[in-house]
Amino acid sequence: MADNPFPLDTEGLLEAYRTMRTIREFEDRLHTNFATGEIPGFVHLYAGEEAAAAGIMMHLRPEDRIASTHRGHGHCIAKGVDPKAMMKEIYGKVGGSCAGKGGSMHIAELDVGMMGANGILGAGAPLACGAGLAAKHRGQGDVALSFVGDGASNQGTFLESLNLAAVWNLPTIFVVENNGYAESTSRHYGVAVDSYVDRAAGFGLPGITVDGTDFFAVYESAGEIIDRARNGGGPSLIECEMVRFYGHFEGDAQTYRADGEVADLRRNRDCIKTFRSKVEGAGVISADQFDQIDGEVIALIDEAVVEAKAAPEPDVAELLTDVYVSY
Amino acid sequence: MVRLGTYGQRSAGHPVRLGQISAGSAIDVGGRDRTGTVGLIANPVSARDIRRVIANASSLQVADRANIVLRAAAALGATGIDKIYAMPDKKGIQALVQRGLERERNMGHRLPHVEFLDMSITSSVDDTHRAVDLLAELAVDAIIVLGGDGTHRAVVSRCATIPIVGISTGTNNAYPEMRESTVSGLAAGLYSSGAVPGSVAITDNKLLEVSVNGGEITDLALVDVVASTDRYVGARALWRTESIAEIFVTFADPEAVGMSAVAGVLEPVGRADRYGLHVKLGPGGRRLKAAIGPGMLSSIDVESWTRLLPEQAMAVTPEAGTLALDGERELELRPGDDVSLTLRPAGFVSIDVGRTVRWAAREGIFIEP
Repeated sequence: MADNPFPLDTEGLLEAYRTMRTIREFEDRLHTNFATGEIPGFVHLYAGEEAAAAGIMMHLRPEDRIASTHRGHGHCIAKGVDPKAMMKEIYGKVGGSCAGKGGSMHIAELDVGMMGANGILGAGAPLACGAGLAAKHRGQGDVALSFVGDGASNQGTFLESLNLAAVWNLPTIFVVENNGYAESTSRHYGVAVDSYVDRAAGFGLPGITVDGTDFFAVYESAGEIIDRARNGGGPSLIECEMVRFYGHFEGDAQTYRADGEVADLRRNRDCIKTFRSKVEGAGVISADQFDQIDGEVIALIDEAVVEAKAAPEPDVAELLTDVYVSY
Repeated sequence: MVRLGTYGQRSAGHPVRLGQISAGSAIDVGGRDRTGTVGLIANPVSARDIRRVIANASSLQVADRANIVLRAAAALGATGIDKIYAMPDKKGIQALVQRGLERERNMGHRLPHVEFLDMSITSSVDDTHRAVDLLAELAVDAIIVLGGDGTHRAVVSRCATIPIVGISTGTNNAYPEMRESTVSGLAAGLYSSGAVPGSVAITDNKLLEVSVNGGEITDLALVDVVASTDRYVGARALWRTESIAEIFVTFADPEAVGMSAVAGVLEPVGRADRYGLHVKLGPGGRRLKAAIGPGMLSSIDVESWTRLLPEQAMAVTPEAGTLALDGERELELRPGDDVSLTLRPAGFVSIDVGRTVRWAAREGIFIEP
């Protein structure tokens, strides 16, 4: 094998690829299976955006907390949530991450620092401020991250959180995943000043924009921004410019997208293809090694679906357990 | 001492005043026919990289960029220019400029008509390339550029014969000088309207031509080329000095930040000098302190440095790594790639803003009847 020019060793590169491929396979399978009507509720797929989740989360420890969005499957997988438990959760079955009662938009796994996907737009940012405040008081260098879409970044909760994080100098990082659409509305229509970095600057936070389809650009930038927060440098914002391969939700006819837009994105801005081509081209990892991971990932998702379908539904008596807490 | 006024053809006794300038008429001064139109390239995404986080670099807001455009437009209007062709964008500059123009019109203020070019928008450097191609077809007299070294490089890479007027809105900004856009707009307008001859306004600039494997890849840099041991483009910016192996600069300016400053603290080389500088980093020479970025003063070990002579191809033999052009990692090299650099003393043209407005002042052009 050739000398490795990348910022990760071979094991790290394989891990990054496995994470991105697992997300892609997970989402592609949901896309297929949702169309059959066997999955309850709504799903919002992360396919096309994998480099952002993988490039950021590879810098995190289990103690670091993230607050996700309605499009949260990629964040969950990259943060270490078991894909089989996720699949059961999405199918609404016993053994799901939240006992099959939360569904796609409420997957959480606190043991790995995943505070939850979130069905309420912009609601993750205040949670990440809370986690950031806790981390600051613990003083062990932990950080908290809030993911938000370009549309939800218009929510007051998000802007108030930027202010709070700045005032308290929290180790909280705001990740704006800019895929260009707030559901079906172009960001060019719905955002007054179309720069998320400018929004951060308005609160005195540094912000950067990075190509969210380039794993290495995300990985390198996120490493700096996370180290800064761990070392007392405070909050910051990173905007990942990315692409969405499917609709806002499954079933979205996507009439607001140009003819050929998605095909062009899949051809030219597929973050996994770019990653593989670059690493394989450098001679660091062989096609066989990548293919082997592809096979293992497909087998994992096959098993996840089979097990999810076979698992029982929660008992009616479980309806209110885990829902209310007595203090 | 040569007086600036002696460069021009116009008699100091018969100055052309601002009110007398007829924009749109083709006036031949300095060998150029002028159309009385000016192009505008405003990069909405310069100054957005990692240096905001690691070095407190400035982050000029889109609203400020739009205001810079409006101020330049006002100055162009004062010189008689009534048409600006501008690059469109979807990041907010176009929208804010259009709102600003409407506001100015409502208040009865006269500004040139700003026509945004009819082109698809990709929100990438391709937009700059496409816009420059269209501006060249429209035969604008000058192109005002808002951005950093990278944006100016993108403009020059498509057209080196239309003079540019640089306005600094980037991070390192060694090439574009820090100057109020009103004055930059004034200089562009004085040239485009024909009030100031090209022999006064236009100046040549150096650039570095880059060729990989005998022309398999060609590129250029206006200020610096760096051979870096970083072997992936990643976050693009250069900030880890331990990864910098060699620096080539067109000019070496201790007043700048970035690679030009590193060379500049060794041996200042002016923009007008016909040579550049080649600096090899490594132990065995001297250690220096230089501003490698905004707020980033680093200690750097310099093994040696030599002057870079014009029009002489120089073979560079970097270990496999990246070539950074004007501060950003651009080209990923493979082991064994042949890289050649050539300093071109007359690589592209620009408007010398200071010289232009001083000449105009001496000619009495600003004096109202």
